[in-house]
Amino acid sequence: MSNRIEIDFTRSEGAVLRLIGLVERKGFDVCSVDMPETGPGPARLTLGVSPRDASRRMDVLGRHVAKMYGVTAVRSEATREPCLERAS
Amino acid sequence: MTAQPIKSEPVTQPESMTGAAAVVRALELAGTEYVFGYPGGAIMPVYDALPGSQLKHILVRHEQAAALAADAYARVTGKAGVCMATSGPGATNLVTGIANAFMDSVPLIAITGQTQTAMMGTDAFQEIDTFGITLPIVKHSFLVRDPAEIFNVFAEAFAVATQGRPGPVLIDLPKDVMQASFAVSPQNDHRARSTPWPDLDPALIEQASALIAASRRPVLYFGGGIAISRSEAALRAFHSRTGIPAVATLKGLGGLPTETPDFLGMLGMHGTRAANLAVNESDLLICAGARFDDRATGRLASFAPHAKVIHIDADASEISKLRHADIAIGGDMAKVLDALRPGPLSIAPWREHCAQNKTRWAMRYDAPGKGVFAPALLNELSRRAGDELIMTCDVGQHQMWVAQHCRFSRPQAHLTSAGLGTMGFGIPAGIGALFAEPKSTVITVTGDGSIMMNIHELATIKRYRLPLKILLLDNSQLGMVRQWQELFFEENFSEVDLYDNPDFAEIARAFGLEAFTVDRREEVDGAIDRLLSATGPILAHVRIDPRENVWPLVPPGASNSDMMEA
Repeated sequence: MSNRIEIDFTRSEGAVLRLIGLVERKGFDVCSVDMPETGPGPARLTLGVSPRDASRRMDVLGRHVAKMYGVTAVRSEATREPCLERAS
Repeated sequence: MTAQPIKSEPVTQPESMTGAAAVVRALELAGTEYVFGYPGGAIMPVYDALPGSQLKHILVRHEQAAALAADAYARVTGKAGVCMATSGPGATNLVTGIANAFMDSVPLIAITGQTQTAMMGTDAFQEIDTFGITLPIVKHSFLVRDPAEIFNVFAEAFAVATQGRPGPVLIDLPKDVMQASFAVSPQNDHRARSTPWPDLDPALIEQASALIAASRRPVLYFGGGIAISRSEAALRAFHSRTGIPAVATLKGLGGLPTETPDFLGMLGMHGTRAANLAVNESDLLICAGARFDDRATGRLASFAPHAKVIHIDADASEISKLRHADIAIGGDMAKVLDALRPGPLSIAPWREHCAQNKTRWAMRYDAPGKGVFAPALLNELSRRAGDELIMTCDVGQHQMWVAQHCRFSRPQAHLTSAGLGTMGFGIPAGIGALFAEPKSTVITVTGDGSIMMNIHELATIKRYRLPLKILLLDNSQLGMVRQWQELFFEENFSEVDLYDNPDFAEIARAFGLEAFTVDRREEVDGAIDRLLSATGPILAHVRIDPRENVWPLVPPGASNSDMMEA
């Protein structure tokens, strides 16, 4: 099972790197990145993510992302297939 | 953490000022009294603007000490600590201290110089991507490219650092931005946003109170969140009206005074047997400002196996991160604890059972032999120091002995590097604590491994005539590593023997400190007297048995109920 997390945030220096880095550090592989071109101000980053082990939960990740400076909304949903297969 | 008071009146300054002058003014407006730092090339414009300001700069001898001293200052005062360094190695030397503040949720403002904007990305002299290096260890960071942003950036930085769950904020300042002048407009005022706590949910409070009322074996498990949010009065009131047996994490110590009835001590790897047994047998854990850290829980799957969990935390992302919470309450810790009113509890047999365990498994100080027994020394020292004590410690065996055996009357009395476990924290933390509370009795407990990490800060102690009392427990070993090699690596002692330590008393004297050495148990009383009566900085070098271990101990990966004893 993989998941998609959609993050609304205010653009600022380092914001995208900060968000993707946090997701990785919290134990998720980032499998896809989508961000429409925008000017200064509100932006939306959509990531396809896959937990590295069963203990990594999307609701906990969502709360970690939501408390980051400049983040205004976080939504996540499950998708059908894992975006990265791990050797067992 | 209470938001730091921030003035919001418009800045009445000359029409034009430099970025560096704006930095100094912004720090003044934020209420900053001390800046711990070390100058260098890229940050020179700010140092040029310091003289004549209201700021007091504390010159340390290594940037790491600046960050650690500012960290301790923040822990004691509740205000953000401020440290400053130049670009490149100055900034990278701050990194350990920033990480320390991040792991222990300490409000810290770290200011770094940066090469001029046009040179960034060209591998210029002392250029390093400080912003990038620190991304994982800050609550937020700013790279200022326009001096007109400085007032707003600093206002935001102080607000972010202190509000909610506190943490470090980095502000990276390119040299040309510091040197540039800008027109001060009415918009350049110092307005900080304020994020109010969410309102309490009465239904959740009612559910939690009902769960507590129904419990027959509840345990109050509290952590560093109590100190951070300054909620010890609410914690003590809750504990007093319920009598629920309580245990503390390493950072929670002092939340309840050590001698409090029904307080069972620290839980976890080096916790008391009474505390770990209570958690293991409990049917309800009321977790207040703790995060189910692995050093506290041991094997998580078998931690408090029969207990439901009420988790109270300022940081919603900590709730159910490691242990499912049956009831989760985010927000203002003190308000939540005040609101919990479970009524009379039926826990008398449970309290008696816990009290019996506390007595049965109490720490003993009657060790055989004539050498100095460090736990007994620490216990006596902390008791004689009284309620004015602030004890800072380094990392290793002595850190755990301090946690196990010392008496703390308040959370700010025990400053320890808990999350990161930073050897070298002790002396800079002692410096920061003395600037925060000059009248307190500040004692740094260190080891012969740890003291060498920041021994140069003896010069800072001398420079500012700080009456820091240093207790150096010297076993000529990296004791905690040696203990683990003895117990878990088949006595394969690898690189832990510090037989060639220098004469620490001579080193201290060379820095201008009073110093003396103790070898025998009969000298301990006099040594404590001499330490506590000294009016200036003093170091007591105490030699202890290198074979001494920290007991009890939960082996790594084991359950807390499987404690090893001596």
